[in-house]
Amino acid sequence: MKLLTRSLVVLALSVVLLGVASLPAMAQSTLSEQQRQLIRANCLTIKNSLNQLKATDALLRVNRGQVYEAMSGRLMDRFNSRLNSNRLDAQGLTAITQSYDTRLNTFRRDYEDYARQLDAAIRIDCESDPDAFHFAIDNARTKRQQLHEDVKMLHAHIADYRAGVIDFQTNFERVAGEE
Amino acid sequence: MDKQIDLSELLQRDSPPEGFILRHRFAFLIVGTLVISLILVIVAMVIYNVSGAAQLDLSRPGYQSVSNQVERGVDVGDFSASGQMTAETIEEFIELYDTEAKKATAVDAFNGDPLNPEVLEFTEVAQ
Repeated sequence: MKLLTRSLVVLALSVVLLGVASLPAMAQSTLSEQQRQLIRANCLTIKNSLNQLKATDALLRVNRGQVYEAMSGRLMDRFNSRLNSNRLDAQGLTAITQSYDTRLNTFRRDYEDYARQLDAAIRIDCESDPDAFHFAIDNARTKRQQLHEDVKMLHAHIADYRAGVIDFQTNFERVAGEE
Repeated sequence: MDKQIDLSELLQRDSPPEGFILRHRFAFLIVGTLVISLILVIVAMVIYNVSGAAQLDLSRPGYQSVSNQVERGVDVGDFSASGQMTAETIEEFIELYDTEAKKATAVDAFNGDPLNPEVLEFTEVAQ
């Protein structure tokens, strides 16, 4: 009985907390009547801008994606393999490469999410439902910011790998000098 | 010993098959082929969309303005995955890596905030 009461209390608290947590988001998505009018008035212009952004971002994804994949597949992996085939310690560099690959997969997934969200926003009739349109764009904006974070992380991993190679070079030269 | 064949049995043997499907089997073949093709097309379209290939397909309508700007075949210098590791090899790799890293990090992709309500004129215009 006590367990049941405790469970009910925990459930009630969770519901209250969730409600409180969602309040700012709801408040943020609320538009004033003037803003709604602006969206209705600029509906076509906004949709044109979104379509242009969709095309340029898709191009950016394709071109950047090729470069990022080449960094891993044609440089990092090959250097790690060469170290392994020479029975040299490649653990550190392999770990960085794995982190890079994981982030690259996240980047791919996040781009898909973003592109789908942008498509969903474009499909909404902004003249009849400006609130839903605004909310969809807000979601796409968040997803695009996440995508930028992924790019920054990829760049950081690229720098980390270089630092790892320099460390390896220093050790290699030191050991070679001792022999 | 000769088996006597009845005339009615012969007629029954040559008569068209009974049953709706057997009588319209050619029409069913055509319709069946079309249904199977339609199912395969639907499956292919679902895979195309779910796999994310659709988001990278710049030959779709709406992407003509950018499709000619795709960088075809990234030219990355060749570094062999096999062979001896020497100080020169490492130096060669670092040189190659720096060139490619410069290309990769040259563009701060997806920066800026083009979906900002201000940019898209969502917010009220200052009076």
